[in-house]
Amino acid sequence: MAGFLSTYGFLIVSMVMGALLGLSLYLPLMTGQLSLASPGFYALGGYIAAILSTQVFKVSDGLYPIGLVLLEMSIAGVVSGVLGVLVGIPALRLRGIYLAIATIAFVEVLRVLSLNLDITGGAVGIFGIPQPFLTPIEYLWIVIPLLLMSMVLLYRLERIRLGRAFTAIREDELAAGAMGIDPTYYKVLAFTLGAILAGVVGAVSAHFLNTWNARQGTFDASIVYLTSVLIGGTRTFVGPVLGGMVFTALPEVLRAIADTAGLPLWLAQFLRDGRLIIFGLLIVLGTIFFPQGLVTPDLFKRRKDRKSQS
Amino acid sequence: MIDENLTTSNPILEAKSLNRTFGGLVAVNNVSFTVNKNEIFGLIGPNGAGKTTLFNMITGLIEPSSGQMFYQGEEISFLRPHLIAKAGIARTFQNIRLFGDLSALENVTIARHIHTKSGFIRGILGLPPAPSEEIRNKQKALELLDLVGLSDRAFEKARNFPYGDQRRLEIARALALEPQVLLLDEPAAGMNPSEKNQLSEFIRELRSQFNLTVILIEHHVPLVMGLCDRIAVLNFGKLIALGDPAQVRTNPAVIEAYLGSD
Amino acid sequence: MDITLFVQQFLNGLSIGSIYAIFALGYTLIFSILGIINFAHGALFTLGAYFTYALMGEAFGLNGLLANAALPVKLPFALALILGSALAGLVGVAVERIAFRPLRRKRADSLLTVVSSLGVALVIVNLIQYLVGAENYTFPGNTYGNLPAAINFGTAEKPIPIRTVQVVIFGVSVVILTILTYFINRTKYGKAMKAVAEDPITASLLGINTDGFIVLTFFISSFLAGLAGTLVASSVSIPGPYFGIAFGLKGLAVIVLGGLGSIPGAVLGGVVIGLIEAFVPADYSAYKDAFAFGILFIMLLVRPQGLLGRRFVQKV
Repeated sequence: MAGFLSTYGFLIVSMVMGALLGLSLYLPLMTGQLSLASPGFYALGGYIAAILSTQVFKVSDGLYPIGLVLLEMSIAGVVSGVLGVLVGIPALRLRGIYLAIATIAFVEVLRVLSLNLDITGGAVGIFGIPQPFLTPIEYLWIVIPLLLMSMVLLYRLERIRLGRAFTAIREDELAAGAMGIDPTYYKVLAFTLGAILAGVVGAVSAHFLNTWNARQGTFDASIVYLTSVLIGGTRTFVGPVLGGMVFTALPEVLRAIADTAGLPLWLAQFLRDGRLIIFGLLIVLGTIFFPQGLVTPDLFKRRKDRKSQS
Repeated sequence: MIDENLTTSNPILEAKSLNRTFGGLVAVNNVSFTVNKNEIFGLIGPNGAGKTTLFNMITGLIEPSSGQMFYQGEEISFLRPHLIAKAGIARTFQNIRLFGDLSALENVTIARHIHTKSGFIRGILGLPPAPSEEIRNKQKALELLDLVGLSDRAFEKARNFPYGDQRRLEIARALALEPQVLLLDEPAAGMNPSEKNQLSEFIRELRSQFNLTVILIEHHVPLVMGLCDRIAVLNFGKLIALGDPAQVRTNPAVIEAYLGSD
Repeated sequence: MDITLFVQQFLNGLSIGSIYAIFALGYTLIFSILGIINFAHGALFTLGAYFTYALMGEAFGLNGLLANAALPVKLPFALALILGSALAGLVGVAVERIAFRPLRRKRADSLLTVVSSLGVALVIVNLIQYLVGAENYTFPGNTYGNLPAAINFGTAEKPIPIRTVQVVIFGVSVVILTILTYFINRTKYGKAMKAVAEDPITASLLGINTDGFIVLTFFISSFLAGLAGTLVASSVSIPGPYFGIAFGLKGLAVIVLGGLGSIPGAVLGGVVIGLIEAFVPADYSAYKDAFAFGILFIMLLVRPQGLLGRRFVQKV
């Protein structure tokens, strides 16, 4: 067991963070808004934690206190939330493709800034971010409660007035307005919740990865997480959670398959190096054949029906 | 000519010189009228006369180019749609805009939004009054589904309903707002003659049961003549007649523009 | 600013802007017909550059499946440019068949099409990397034959040197724009294309083969992407398979600034952004990209329909 955890500890924590990032993209999608801003807030949260822990708190001896990590996460969440509202209010007046483009622009501006500012360490980034734990697997103490909290929150959300307002806007924004629902308010709320989550995850991630630079949270990253949400499912939070985990693990899985004996050499090599090609193909096939993703609410309903009948 | 004497002293909705242009096209041209409380008010006119545009202006989906609208004495000309809905004006849509992927019950429950107070925190944590509100909303929604005769299919997806049932479901959804004024955009479209008769009766019942004011757009002239207290006739965006069915029927401008062409 | 420097930067800006313009035109043509953004456009830009490079008979580097491979032909640059861009155009047609048409048939949400095109971009970019590695490829020194490295637009005393490549880029862009304008406004095909853009259903009732024109549009659009990619690569180099992603995003800034779906808008947007970038002070040149996206963001907020676009009215 200990051997397994030390081998796969890094992967397991990454998977949980993948699920969280999936949820951060899913939140705006609940209102039908394709926002690619999550990676931007993720990067921002990471920089906040990296700067605070290396330049402000500066704990020199022993392990870095977990309390400070939690504090950094809270600060990252608040800053991301405020920025989320500031960006969201004007941007969410835009629909569909315009919003997607605006969020891409937002992420790019953040990226160029982080590449050039002194405080973010320029192109090199920030390294030597202090560790609160001795082994990667122990990060589960932070990310598992975070994931559980987010899941409970979303489980509840999908069943109350607020979640219904989100759904109504996703289904038909105009009709939702005619039913007394303020589309702008709820779209900004969903966008901001996603931003907060991404910022908080970024803060943990900076410690977890030990270094932080402008390669975190780029356009590619958003495509990968978008894949996980879309293939996982866009109609219930279970989809992005599973999708985020599976797609984070996928490169490792592909590598493991590639190592199995007897595979033709070209296939083994493709599985090892062609990860993103496979991702891309999955995106195309997924959008064509499973427009609502693999995990849909109907899946649960049907099971419930069967249970109640038997 | 428009008979001014019919504007009685109990107005609930008032339009003053409403105009709306799209590019160079004048969709609604200087239209003024008053709808009285508890009235069933018909809006008729040939295709493209500006009826739906007028509805869209009343419900805030599009802004008037000029002119004003008042609801219970308050100006609503530039209010956003959700605020107008909150004020008490609900509507259905000509080309049915249900939340197709959701069940009938969910469609109606969503429209209970403005009568539910629990926000984010209380809702998530299930603190009072959120749970009791949820139960009350569901009951209310089921009652409304029962009223339109759809309670036995409450859990079916809205998009799977036949056309006539979708129209009824849209009415139930609008009623969930507990409106003062109900705007129906071609409620009889796609219905057969016997369904149309039932609909007339149903609208009258709704008026008395909920103390409603009903404004409806309808193409089927006999239905409008039989149901409405007063009728406004639009042609090319202009109001060409306003009065009770007998007056409208004999109005030469109406005969020329609309009835005559039938 | 010194006047000669000003003229020099102006001419450079015009050259960059013209390449932005023909690249962005590709986006806009597809948007005006289908109402979608083809996020694979940047990848086709990259692909065009690699195709041309290969057609010139240059060998690929050490990494990737095709390490050290070279085509047995050695085409001159002009010919390779046209063929390479045409190949990118054909790939664009294939992309339409695989990733766009099935969704169109299902009348899927246009956001799904966006996502699908992102998937295509991911496949193309990483396939390139898989095949020829992530190395930097520089076009051969004799790409532009015996032309001098720079041309003087000033006087002998006050020289205003502009790199020949920039002049060629500007020239080619102007030629392409002229041909395209003629094609769209004067020919039967162009008019039909506009009709499809205006109203696909009516157009098909009028006997226009809608699918055929969509294919043609994808070919032209992707041809333009490949052409732009090659020209830019011949000016700097192909820094790797991700070459087109940043340019693709820049192209978005251009079309949003000019107005989505507006052909003159794409040209205007390209030139404006090219000029703005040329005049970003040297101290801030690292922030050059942020300017384009900052403008894009602000434009979306104050005037989403862009400088020359038409306001979109939703039907109720």
